[in-house]
Amino acid sequence: MITTPPQVGQELPELVKHTTTRQLVQYAGASGDFYEIHYDQEYARSTGLPGVILHGLLKAGFLAQLITSWAGAQARLKTFDVSYRGLDQPGRPCRCRGVVKSVEGSTAELEIWTEDPEGNRTTLGNATVELT
Amino acid sequence: MSGAVSGPTVVERLKAKVGWKGGERVTVVEAGQVRRFCDAIGDADPRWRDEAPPTFVVALASETPQLPEALDYGKGWLNGGDRFEYLEPIHVGDTITARSTLVDVYEKQGSSGGLLFLIMDTEYVNQHGRVAVRLRGTRIRR
Repeated sequence: MITTPPQVGQELPELVKHTTTRQLVQYAGASGDFYEIHYDQEYARSTGLPGVILHGLLKAGFLAQLITSWAGAQARLKTFDVSYRGLDQPGRPCRCRGVVKSVEGSTAELEIWTEDPEGNRTTLGNATVELT
Repeated sequence: MSGAVSGPTVVERLKAKVGWKGGERVTVVEAGQVRRFCDAIGDADPRWRDEAPPTFVVALASETPQLPEALDYGKGWLNGGDRFEYLEPIHVGDTITARSTLVDVYEKQGSSGGLLFLIMDTEYVNQHGRVAVRLRGTRIRR
């Protein structure tokens, strides 16, 4: 959790997720998104995918965790947007990263993203946090 | 002259659906539901014993628009993106009403064929009648 005002350019402590197929099933149940491409290999391949893939919104959940664990319970997340640019498969680490883009008064703008093992940014996003 | 007249394309039929409302879903937020959501993400912050984490609202409405016509385009769904706006926190015990509206439909040509974008806005209103969260989701048929 941050204890001093954030500086522009400061990086958020990285969060690395090692997602399993089991976790995708867990997320399917918890979110109600039972689309088969997230747990049925054969179905996923029939739609042209290399196999089952992470739910975009699971990656959004990881990035939200990155932000809230950094900002702390006193801070308020105001906006959070993500754009899913690449596929992530279970069994491959998903690095969640972020950097402070600007600070104005108590409001910080963050750039956030997920990265695959090759360094490709598979999710791009932005967030506004009110740090009281 | 042939008398055959082709009907509206799937894209035209879906464009005509802009403004379609996905129906209301009312949920009382339960501690167990929030816990299972956090377990699935792997977020053990004790804060979420009482408060819903930022993306929890997605469990309170359908992920994709329940429009059978959309299935006539392409082979499957992709998620393009999500934008959340937070106005009030959501706590365990709150009653949340989710209302979704299809706000835009457009087609783009991708590298491996056509893509159909469906933009859905969902408002999550709490028991006080106040909007707690707004979500704009971009769902793609490909």
